[in-house]
Amino acid sequence: MRLSVAAAISHGRVYRRLGLSPRSRLDLLRNLVTALVRHERIETPWARADEMRGYAERLIDYAKRGDKDERAMRMADFWLTEKDLIHKLFKVLAPRFQPHPGSYTRLLQIPNRDGLDRAKMAVIELKGNALPPLVRPRRDSDKTLLNQLLKGYRQDAQRAAAT
Amino acid sequence: RVSSDGKPPKFQPPPKPVIIDRKTQKEERRFLSPEFIPPRGRTDPLKYYIERKDMIQRRKVFNIPEFYVGHVLAVTTADPYASDKSKRFVGICIQRGGKGLGATFVLRNVIEDQGVEICYELYSPRIQAIEVLKLEKRLDENLMYLRDALPEYSTFDVNMKPVPRMDHEEIPVNKLQVRMKPKPWSKRWERPKYNIKGIKFELPEHKMKAAQKWSQPWLEFDMLREYDTSKIEEKIRKELNEELEK
Repeated sequence: MRLSVAAAISHGRVYRRLGLSPRSRLDLLRNLVTALVRHERIETPWARADEMRGYAERLIDYAKRGDKDERAMRMADFWLTEKDLIHKLFKVLAPRFQPHPGSYTRLLQIPNRDGLDRAKMAVIELKGNALPPLVRPRRDSDKTLLNQLLKGYRQDAQRAAAT
Repeated sequence: RVSSDGKPPKFQPPPKPVIIDRKTQKEERRFLSPEFIPPRGRTDPLKYYIERKDMIQRRKVFNIPEFYVGHVLAVTTADPYASDKSKRFVGICIQRGGKGLGATFVLRNVIEDQGVEICYELYSPRIQAIEVLKLEKRLDENLMYLRDALPEYSTFDVNMKPVPRMDHEEIPVNKLQVRMKPKPWSKRWERPKYNIKGIKFELPEHKMKAAQKWSQPWLEFDMLREYDTSKIEEKIRKELNEELEK
């Protein structure tokens, strides 16, 4: 009778294994969260960005509680290694995201890294930042058949309304 | 006073005072049995909804009292081989496990110098009565360490009378620090993973310090492991109260 689960099965595990140990994984993600709060847009391997996303959003949820809250301050103190960012978190980021209930970050994939490992890279940014946008929303071209027909319909309706 | 007909005026009884029993109302609302709260996972919430309906149905027929780990309970179950067709067991509740209809609780007692633990299912139809004999919470959620404690801490009189409950408001917390048998124990209770506050460790200092090597201080800051149940609890509590009042 096999009493222990085989080591290779990882059904239902949600956390990725990064770094050397669980402590090292949290330290890695902590550095990334600090960098995100400082620069508001960073480029990292996709797996790390995906792990980090959950922690960053929960940190902002804690920050929304206000800096008088004991737990919120302890969390911010642990997660932000550069202490001037605690002020930025509570005074700039928390009010910015106060109207939104969730999803404060955007994760977009980038072409693979140039080095030997060809790692899958991603850009993670906080929404509402002051940098130029990554994705420009493209409007449909006016010259397609459907758009021309719709334009004609709109003009006919305007003429009919005018008379 | 002059009446219309000249007869004496009709007796108007004074209006009955409306008694709002706030204490019992509060008690209903505050406690939610832990097996109602669905665990975090990928299962369909429909499963938990159906189970909850069945649990409420059972609770309407049979009263399951509010109890925590550390209470002393007496459970009467149906037994086909007993002369009275029923069996009574008294013990201290050491753990409550399981969610949904499979929720269980383990009662422990020491009978004739033999420790006995029986795991009952809360919603089993074989259970005929659950009485709470003594109400007290302990410092921990899991009293499995009573197996390695001196037997006096697990013995309870089988014919114990139920202790009358004073307030409808608070359940007293017993800050008892239990003394243990000499090591080896079934688990290394001094390790921070179990986070036990109810044992009086009489181990030497260097052993306690060595046990702290296994502490994981970063776990407290790992935000994704937190499961915030307040909103779910509110919804389920409302649902429960509505169903039970019908």
